[in-house]
Amino acid sequence: MAETDVLEVEVDDRADFTEDTGEDGLKNLKKGVTKRKGRGFKDDQNPSLNEPYDSVEADDNSEIGPQRSVEGWILFVTNVHEEAQEDDIYDLFAEHGEIKNLQANLDRRTGFMKGYALVEYETFKEAQAARDALNDAEMLEQKISVDWAFVRASSKKSRSGRRR
Amino acid sequence: MADFYVRYYVGHKGKFGHEFLEFEFRPDGKLRYANNSNYKNDTMIRKEAFVSKRVMGELKRIIDDSEILKEDDSLWPQPDRVGRQELEIVMDGLHIAFTTSKIGSLVDVNQCNDADGLRCLYYLVQDLKCLVFSLIGLHFKIKPI
Repeated sequence: MAETDVLEVEVDDRADFTEDTGEDGLKNLKKGVTKRKGRGFKDDQNPSLNEPYDSVEADDNSEIGPQRSVEGWILFVTNVHEEAQEDDIYDLFAEHGEIKNLQANLDRRTGFMKGYALVEYETFKEAQAARDALNDAEMLEQKISVDWAFVRASSKKSRSGRRR
Repeated sequence: MADFYVRYYVGHKGKFGHEFLEFEFRPDGKLRYANNSNYKNDTMIRKEAFVSKRVMGELKRIIDDSEILKEDDSLWPQPDRVGRQELEIVMDGLHIAFTTSKIGSLVDVNQCNDADGLRCLYYLVQDLKCLVFSLIGLHFKIKPI
């Protein structure tokens, strides 16, 4: 990246933005960068993202841990081999419960696996068993990582958000 | 992931009002998705969920691998009446806010003076949409778009 491509900006305020990820946190995050690039800074419109949003409610008040989805529990699998087939993933995960849904997306440019997959089980027990057993497991001689796709809102503050 | 933010918008204002698709990933993992199409029905879909660090890590990898941060929108087609795309990313101390018109196909891309850069955007946007549609679609049991 040539230095002439970017606009150096004054970093005047490195506030504690990691503590607050609401609207102010985001503003601080954007303020905290050292370089800017692009034509999109003039009209900061962002028309749609400040209205109320639907979310899936947690079953209890716990603020940490995985979040249930509408029809089950979804795992997120990464480091999937680019030549893996959906069947490879299916066979591995079906050993730990009945798979309700499986999505393994392709790279739009190459047509190979993009490297991640979503696997859904109906019960928490099945999903947790698969996560425990298959995180770091080998698929086509490559170690996959398995974790929850969705988590609880990390704090009440960020959950309610602050709306402009 | 503290200094990582992604937002994408595509839309236009026309006969059916303001029709758009927009999503963002906030540093704390909050994924927001909004889609307004007035064409067949009046529904505005707005969904939000918190994704895990693993998902944010994968998103970051996809963006890293695309090398979009090395690109610049200066030679890309300006947003027009047909539509507007915006890609905003904060990552590694760099903030990009690229805008361009809608891209119909690779034919549009190849006519651009910065075809390589625009192609980079074209594929990245498809990969990002794919990820978001899978996440939102499965989590809420809806078919996005």
